Parts: sequence; structure tokens; C-alpha cells
Amino acid sequence: MGTFAVLLGPPLLAALLAGVVNPYRRFVGWANGLLSLLSVAAAVTLWRHVVAGQVLTSGSREFLRADALSTLLTLCVSVVAALAAWLGPGMGDDDGYDGAQARRFRIFGNLFAVTMLFAVTSNNLGFMWIAIEATTITSAMLIPLHVTKASVEASWKYILIGSIGIALAFGGTVLGYFDFVNLVGRHDEALNWTTLMASAPHLHPQVIQLAFIFILIGYGTKAGLAPMHTWLPDAHSEAPAALSAMMSGVLLAVALYAVIRWKIVVDAAIGTEFTNHLLIGMGLLSLIVAGFSLVIQRNYKRMLAYSSVEHTGLMCVGLALGPLGTFASMLHLLNHTVAKSMMFFLAGRVLHRYRTTEIAAVSGLLATMPWTGGLFAVGMLAVMGLPPFGLFMSEFALFRAGFVAGRPWLMGLVLALLTVAFVSIIGHLNRMLYGASAGGVPVGERPAWPLLPLGVCLTTLVVLGITLPTPLQTLLDRIVEVIGQ
Amino acid sequence: MDGMFSQLSVLGSSLVLIFGLILLWRRGVTAYIAAFRWQSIVLALVTAIVAYFAADHELYWVAGALLLLKGVVIPGLLKRMERRFPAERELDPYVNTATSLVVAGLLVLFGYAITRPLVALSQLPTRAGMPLAMGLVLVSLFVVISRKKALTQVVGFLMLENGLALLAILGTYGIPLIVELGVFLDVLMGFLVMQIFIYQIHETFESIDVEQLNHLRH
Repeated sequence: MGTFAVLLGPPLLAALLAGVVNPYRRFVGWANGLLSLLSVAAAVTLWRHVVAGQVLTSGSREFLRADALSTLLTLCVSVVAALAAWLGPGMGDDDGYDGAQARRFRIFGNLFAVTMLFAVTSNNLGFMWIAIEATTITSAMLIPLHVTKASVEASWKYILIGSIGIALAFGGTVLGYFDFVNLVGRHDEALNWTTLMASAPHLHPQVIQLAFIFILIGYGTKAGLAPMHTWLPDAHSEAPAALSAMMSGVLLAVALYAVIRWKIVVDAAIGTEFTNHLLIGMGLLSLIVAGFSLVIQRNYKRMLAYSSVEHTGLMCVGLALGPLGTFASMLHLLNHTVAKSMMFFLAGRVLHRYRTTEIAAVSGLLATMPWTGGLFAVGMLAVMGLPPFGLFMSEFALFRAGFVAGRPWLMGLVLALLTVAFVSIIGHLNRMLYGASAGGVPVGERPAWPLLPLGVCLTTLVVLGITLPTPLQTLLDRIVEVIGQ
Repeated sequence: MDGMFSQLSVLGSSLVLIFGLILLWRRGVTAYIAAFRWQSIVLALVTAIVAYFAADHELYWVAGALLLLKGVVIPGLLKRMERRFPAERELDPYVNTATSLVVAGLLVLFGYAITRPLVALSQLPTRAGMPLAMGLVLVSLFVVISRKKALTQVVGFLMLENGLALLAILGTYGIPLIVELGVFLDVLMGFLVMQIFIYQIHETFESIDVEQLNHLRH
């Protein structure tokens, strides 16, 4: 009980505090930052329990439950939420946001974090759905923090497409419940994941297949899988940096988590072949769409957004490649969370200085902001999957899994698509880093302190690229056990 | 007894679907709001019928909540928005009326096709209505894709949710009450946020025609 309260309570408290203190005061931001660290500590406690072989639950009928899979997601969400709390609007003097905007960010940003944390710890798949729907609402409120034509357009597309996707996922949840009810009758715990799993082998194959199609299209929309990804580049590029980091770094992962939860049920009912084919199909399509959209990209925030579509597609393919692939895919999820949230914060710094998201208008980044530019360049190399960074290791593991699973052609195609992305990103990056400094752009790093946590992110990526610490290895092994049961 | 229950539920589901089809051939937002209001009232009625025949008292609460939220509160808010933008009519949708109706017919047929295993599996007297609910889900999805006014899209989205609620009632006599309450809360919050955005679209673009929302490409 206690651990879950410390996990979910602090962001809720921070949102409440920001709501009560009107107009916004700086101490709200500080309190938010300190509270966010409590959530991280709770997630680490869950991790320690998982490594010790325990599954923590709380409430009647195991209302909240944190197995290895949930724990990985709580770690990712709480860390990125903490980054957003420290680096978000309302901490510095000249961050481009006024008090009202900072207050709004503190309220909805924290509610966004709570809904994501609740989604990944709820044992009841109905509540998981409610929480993921709520993530759409809370995050949509923050996209037009600066009201412009572009941000209004992006927020409309996001709320409409996101809500419809989520509604379809609700249809899938209802169909899954329908299947269960026909098997054992109506029953309040029927939507509990553990209850569903217990009777999964007897579920009706055709009905559960139909349910999974709805689930995959529905939550896949939120996860940014092609062809339902159309809202994603708009929303991620127009949102304020801290929100982009949360959306790209963890919201996509949370939606993918929902797909995985259902995949485990469906696999227990009818074997892995059906879900694997669908995941490979969607994953490949996402890689294709993202790869070729990166080629024609003129906007660096959209470039990062499409790169997220690419990596989500890669994770889907990995999930379909057996235990080794699952291991690689989950490691990739962690790496992507660290790398992409860092990149969006850096992009926010670049945008704040250059006042434009056009790649062509940002030149001489290394001369203008040597540290930010340097981190951006190195981070981009990490995102592209070069050694010695974590994403190289997870992509390498994923390819190995593909060859072990006897799918060399699939792996060849994936590699070709990753190369397309690689070449185009390198080109864009070159244009931004070098050349004459754009006129009228002040030189130097002010404020410089946000670079410290971002440097820690990069260090983490390097560590993950060189070694796999034992606790992490154990966590991932346990996730593979959960998904393969 | 079961025969009457079965017939009433199919009759109710057909009405719910027909109110959904009104979106395809009427042009005025007033008609859409009325269609949504009546659809929600019939949906609440179907829920009450299931509550009566299945002797499930919890479902009366769900029916009551449906009636209040989707029959009164949300149509009221939609009306208020409509008064703010009186000139907004769906004059030139992406797909014309005749084609839309043909597509809707095909979608309902498709709804029948994909729900066949469900109808075959279920023992409930209400099972014959499930294909109609699925039909409404697909038709509403088509409305959202093929119409240009933000307000029409919102009504289409709300009808899609009605279709899913109908599917849940007919197939399982409703999902667990506590989950249902959460869903209602989400629907209301989601609708309120959409309403805020429609006002924002109107302020920034001076119209709620989503065709203008085309600045963000690639």
C-alpha cells in the first residue's frame, strides 16, 4: 500500500498545490521538483521488490499491482516526470512562459504523470483504459500553452484522433469482457488482468482475435503506430518541450504497454502467431512511414517525433520475435525513453534561443550554444543507434533475436529502413550544427544548470551501451517471463 | 418473455442506428444535436429494458446516468455552442450524401460480418442487436472522417461512444458499474476539453471548418 501511495501521491499533491496557489509562485515549482523525486524513489522500491522475486499489490482484489512489466514503466514515467518537473516552465526567470502558463503546466503536467502511473499499475484493464483516456485529456490541455494557429490545429487533431483511437480500444476491452462473461458469467473482477489470465486458455478464439484488432488499432493510435500516427508529429512538435518529452518519452511506451498486456492474454488463448503477425505488420509500416518522412523533414522537432514513430515500430517488431526479441524490445523501450526525453528538452533549448523549428534557420548551433549543440549532436547519434550508446545494444540484441528466430529477410528490411532514417538524420544534423551562426541570435548557455540533468541522461545512455547492470538484467528477464507466460 | 425482450432490444438498437444515419443526410447542426439527444434517450431506454428483464438494479443507475449526461447535459452544451456559431452548416462534406448512404449501408453489412462469431457465441436474448451496435460504431467513424465541421466531428465521436455503450449493454448487460462510472467521467471531461478547443479554433481561425487546419504537413 505504502509504496503505491508514494508513487501516485506526490504528483497528485503537486497538481493540487499548483491549483491552490494562484497566481503561480516559484516555490510551487520547487515543491513539484522535490515531490517528483519521491515518485522515483517509490518506483525504485518496486524495482527492488521485483528483483527479489515479489509482486507488490495493493487494495482489495489486487486493485493495484506491479509486476516486472509495470515496474519498468513506472521507472520510465517517474524519471521523465521528474525531469519535466525540474526543467519545465516556471523554474527560471526567462523561460518563455508567464505565471499563468507555468501554473497550467504544473496542474495538468502532474495530472498527466498520475494518469500514466495509474495506467501502468492498475490491475483492472477497464481502469487502465480510463487512465489512458485521461492521459489524452490532460496532455491535450497543455499543447496550446502558447495559443497559435499551429498549436490549436495540433491540439484538435490530437484530441480527436486520440479520443477515437481510445474509444476503439474501449470496444476491444468490451469484446474481451464479452468473451470472458460468456465463459464464466458476470463478475466484478472479470476485467482484472490476473483473473482474465486465469481463464485465458478457454477464451473463444475468434472473439478474442476481434478484440485484439480493436485493442491494437486503439492503443496503437496512442502509441503512434502507422497508419494512425498522423496526430503525433503535429502534437509532439507544437507542444512545449517538457510535454513533448513526456509524450514522446513515455506516453508512447504506456500505450504500447496496454497493447502488451492484452497481447499476453490473447497469446495465452490462441498462441503467439496471430499477435506476432499483426505486430510485425504494424511495426514495419511504422518504420517505412517514419523512414521516408524523415527524408523530407524540414522541422527538427518533427524529425524527433518521426524518429519516435520509428522506434515504436522497432519495439513492436521486437515483441514479435520471441523471448530474445522481447528482452531487446523492453531494453529498447528504456533506452528510447532516456534518449528521446533528453532530445526534446535540448530541442526546447534550441527553440527558445533561435525562435524557430525550421532546420534551415538553425545554423551554427555548435558555435552559438556549444554544450547544448554538443549534447544534441551526441544524443542524435545515440538515437540513430550508434555505439557506444544504449540504443545500439538494444538494436543489436533485436537483430540477433530476429536471426535466431529465423527471420533474416525481415531483419534485412528493418536494417534497410533504419539506414534510410540514419542517412537523412545525419544530413539534417549537419545543417544545424555547422555554418555561420544565425544573425541576431545571442551566443552562450544561459541558463546552464538544466544541462546537468541532461548530461546525466547521456551518461546513462553510455553506461547502458557498455554494460547491462545485474538488477536491470533481472528486471528484463522477469518481464520476459511475464510476457511469455 | 424472452421473445419480447429480444424484440424490444432489437427495435431499440435499430432506432439507435437510424439516429446515427441522420448525420449523413441532414446538413444543419441543429438536426445533428437533436439526433444525438434522441439516440441517447433510446440508448438509456434500452439500458432500462435490459435492467428490467435481467432484473439487474445497478443498470437502472447506468440508464439514469446516460439519460442525464448524454440526453440532457451534453446536448445542452452542444446547443450553447451552436448558438455561438449560427452560420456553421455542413454544406460541402468530403463525401456527398448519396455516396455516404451507400457507404453506410456497406459498413452496416460489414458490422454484421465481423460480429458473426459474437452472435454465435452469446446466449443472451439481446444478442441480435450487437451487429447494429457495431454498424453504428463504423458509421460514426465514417462521419468523423468525411465531415468538415469540428462540431459535426464531435457529434460523430459522441455517437461512436453510444455505439460502444450499446455493444456493452447488449453483449454483456453492461461492464462493471465502477468502471462504467469512470468511463462516464472520461466522456464528460473529454467533451469539455473538445469544447474548449472548438472555441479556440473559432477564435484563431474565425470559423470551425477543419479544412483550414492544414498548416502542419509532413
